[in-house]
Amino acid sequence: MTNGQAEHPSAIRAVGLVKTYRGSTGEIEAVRGVDLEVRSGEVFGFLGPNGAGKSTTVRMLTTLMTITAGSAHVAGVDVAADPDGARHKIGVALQEAGLDPRQTGRELLTLQARLFGMSSSEAAARAEELLELVELTDAGDRRIKGYSGGMKRRLDLASALVHRPDVLFLDEPTTGLDPASRLTVWAEVRRINQLGTTVFLTTQYLEEADQLCDRIAIIDQGRIVREGTPSALKDDLARRRGDGTTPTLDDVFLDATGRTRVQVDGDVKEIQA
Amino acid sequence: MNHSLTLGLRAMRETLRTPDSLVPTLLIPLFFLVVNIGQAGRIFPSDDTDFLNGQNYAAFQLPSSLLLAASFGGAALYLVEEIEGGYFDKLRATPIPRMSIVLGRLYAEFVKSVGITALMIAISLALGVRIESGVAGFVLLVVMVSIWAMVFSGFMQLIALKTRSAAATQAGGLVFFPLLFLTPNFVPRNLLTRPMEVAATLNPVTYVMEACRSLILDGFDATALGKGAVVIAAAGALMLGLSVRLINRYD
Ligand SMILES: Nc1ncnc2c1ncn2[C@@H]1O[C@H](COP(=O)(O)OP(=O)(O)OP(=O)(O)O)[C@@H](O)[C@H]1O
Ligand SMILES: [Mg+2]
Repeated sequence: MTNGQAEHPSAIRAVGLVKTYRGSTGEIEAVRGVDLEVRSGEVFGFLGPNGAGKSTTVRMLTTLMTITAGSAHVAGVDVAADPDGARHKIGVALQEAGLDPRQTGRELLTLQARLFGMSSSEAAARAEELLELVELTDAGDRRIKGYSGGMKRRLDLASALVHRPDVLFLDEPTTGLDPASRLTVWAEVRRINQLGTTVFLTTQYLEEADQLCDRIAIIDQGRIVREGTPSALKDDLARRRGDGTTPTLDDVFLDATGRTRVQVDGDVKEIQA
Repeated sequence: MNHSLTLGLRAMRETLRTPDSLVPTLLIPLFFLVVNIGQAGRIFPSDDTDFLNGQNYAAFQLPSSLLLAASFGGAALYLVEEIEGGYFDKLRATPIPRMSIVLGRLYAEFVKSVGITALMIAISLALGVRIESGVAGFVLLVVMVSIWAMVFSGFMQLIALKTRSAAATQAGGLVFFPLLFLTPNFVPRNLLTRPMEVAATLNPVTYVMEACRSLILDGFDATALGKGAVVIAAAGALMLGLSVRLINRYD
């Protein structure tokens, strides 16, 4: 990296990110000025209620969607100016694990590796390695159509890793999984992170964020309303409450997203906490 | 180029794994061929109909059936399924030119059409049709129809990329359908009623059909082939230009 970020190796840096959707019913401001700074090697959690703008942010950071305003660098690469450069450094598993039901797991991973520029023998070896990593070796030669939800999630995770990305984006990686599969995914995320990959994950599960994440940010209606380590956020709330009770991350989440809003004429207005 | 081929091979594998999808592509045009010959064959006896050049009516009808088979736009239906299912985004997350995603499917469509067109011509040879232009003409006929199949499914893919909905893509295909029938598909253009003649003359598909027909009935007719080639090239260039624009701006 030659752009002077070497002293502060930040894996993700977003400044003033805005996304406006233009639909038939007018404009929707899904993300309204998000600043993010994720350090290299972190597991960063991105939390927020339904429709808060998590997936939209992930799509902008991973070059899948244009940025209306603001800028974003991932692994030092400007995602808007050099999307292909960024794609080499980014792995992404989206919320709807989009897989091709007519291919086998192995074929899907091999194809993905080929598209990242590997030779066919390299791609085959990488597919084998990844099937092992996500424990799908036995199912590798079956069509994806017959996979369970958990198997699809794990395959999706594997496919995000084919090119050994520096930064891995996971949009709700455990939604819809049974408790055992969830633990498997957590273990995999930890293992991937220990190998040096920065992980940015969105989740609806506060426990997941508490267990996995070094730092979290909470987004609500397109704006970041809290940011910090889980314990710092809990401490902060305990101090503000001042009643001696120990808040959970759930309390932090509700405080950040619930009490800062009031319904006015069916229109949601923001009030500063 | 390289990535387009990789994706093309994958699209072919997909087609081979869903052979059912080929059944209508093959059977519906054959059905029309047989029915049309059965109904109009006696009106146009081979020894007494100028425009048949001594062949039976099947030879005249064959190009319509070949073009019909080339107009199912299978590639676009797979593409829209992929967009709806989210796999399209996984492909977009790779550092390949966006256009390879479109091209890969078009290459596979070409190969599929070569198979189907050759098979349909083989069947009509069994019905007594002869290819006046010989083996080279047969090859040219197959290639021309198959490039047209690419162009047509390319336009369908544009609808898929624009609407991102399977229902809309299927409905969109119907918009192109009249183009296939506002052609001299039963009799040559000079025998059509005046309004139909005007419509057929304005319809670019007419020239593709006449080029195909000339290979079957007349041999190598440079004028007819030239017009067909110009139409295919122009439609192809338009389709590719619009595809590049649309997929590079896909958001
Ligand atoms: N393609 C789109 N066109 C128009 N509006 C959209 C589109 N995608 C998302 N939105 C809107 O943008 C807002 C943010 O959506 P987004 O999917 O980013 O939320 P999210 O935080 O990921 O929610 P969830 O937890 O339900 O996944 C919502 O109001 C949503 O309705
Ligand atoms: Mg989401």
